[in-house]
Amino acid sequence: MRTALPKRIDGGNLAVETRGLTKRFGDQVALNDVSLQVPDGAVYLLVGPNGAGKSTTLKVLLDLVRTDQGTAEVFGLNCRDRAPEVRANIGYVPERPDWGYGWMHVGRLLKHQALYYPTWDVDYAARLAQKFELRMDRKMGVLSKGQARRVHLTMALAHRPSLLLLDEPTDGLDPLMRDETLGVIADHLADSPTTVMLSTHHVEEVERLADHIGVLRNGALRAQMSRADLDAGLRRYRVEVPEQWPGAPSLNGAVLRRVTSAREVQWTVWGEEADVIQKLTAAGGTVREVVPLSLLDATLALLNPND
Amino acid sequence: MLISLDPQDTRPIYVQIVDEVRRALVLGTLGADQPLPSVRDLAVQLRVNPNTVSQAYRDLERQGMVYVRRGQGTYASPGQQGGPERRILADGVADRALHDARRNGLSVDELVAAIRNHDTQRSSEESQ
Repeated sequence: MRTALPKRIDGGNLAVETRGLTKRFGDQVALNDVSLQVPDGAVYLLVGPNGAGKSTTLKVLLDLVRTDQGTAEVFGLNCRDRAPEVRANIGYVPERPDWGYGWMHVGRLLKHQALYYPTWDVDYAARLAQKFELRMDRKMGVLSKGQARRVHLTMALAHRPSLLLLDEPTDGLDPLMRDETLGVIADHLADSPTTVMLSTHHVEEVERLADHIGVLRNGALRAQMSRADLDAGLRRYRVEVPEQWPGAPSLNGAVLRRVTSAREVQWTVWGEEADVIQKLTAAGGTVREVVPLSLLDATLALLNPND
Repeated sequence: MLISLDPQDTRPIYVQIVDEVRRALVLGTLGADQPLPSVRDLAVQLRVNPNTVSQAYRDLERQGMVYVRRGQGTYASPGQQGGPERRILADGVADRALHDARRNGLSVDELVAAIRNHDTQRSSEESQ
């Protein structure tokens, strides 16, 4: 018997819900039947390799990409039919901050942005600009990737939106500014009730902020769960086995990864710990170690099972 | 009181925060009726989700280690420096040591003997 990886988050109010999102660009499938549930107030980490569909998913919520099939809702509003209202509630940091406005000075862009958002907090914007060391007299077009990213973070946070969509928010930032940014996000969460969807390649950086995770690969959702469920359900077992061991017993769980040597086997298994240990012991193995995984290791196991 | 997290530690973060506060209570770096950092300050300092800090503080309150003054903050309960907290702390250390012993295929007796032996050696080195 195999325990399937959870693909649905149940219970509570949802900030974001998508049903069966499917999108093709030519013959390439960008999204394949993606159904996400993001609870209200969650910091939801969207992980996956390049081209997995993370950015496309975020853009669907903003109605910047329209799907071939499926629907998306943000706080109960349909993202296509009610796009302006939905966008008014969202702070967005795009993956490539190179849209237009290259001729505008940073200071003017911030003032321009403030006009669109009734909830824009001028003092907060000034504090963020100071923390991010923004130079108001520089033109957007000449900024480095990291500098532009900081302008976008300021614009996304300053109107205190109910939903933040951060696409690679720390990409291009130096280690010091990356650390500062994580502090700013933690500070923001303590201050304003916000749901965050965050995509990143640097899982270890945001490990302490994320409380939910969705794993995308080739446009399809492989797993989706809370951190608490992930922490409880995923373990690495190191097992000493007798020589000439006939092989793996049927484990009461989903084996994600297996590394084998002559007398030792290491399994990464999704399933009830007691069940898995019992099966391993009954088959003649001696369980030497059971460890929970870091979020990075868990992500790799979920993304790239080798069993 | 100083709270820091070990990046190598894979236990849930709220558990690590609870343990850090417990250690501070036992060591006396957090005295009776002294305030803990605010949820916000600790979240920013550790770069963790404020909900995680709240969860840790709720857990500490439930265990009676801290109390909440409405609108003011969280404070260390008096009388937490003694027996029970020390024992829980010792349990944690024992658990980690046992875990390591099992991983290395050592029995409890071997572990205990090694600890005693090591301790004796070290104190005799120090006295020289």
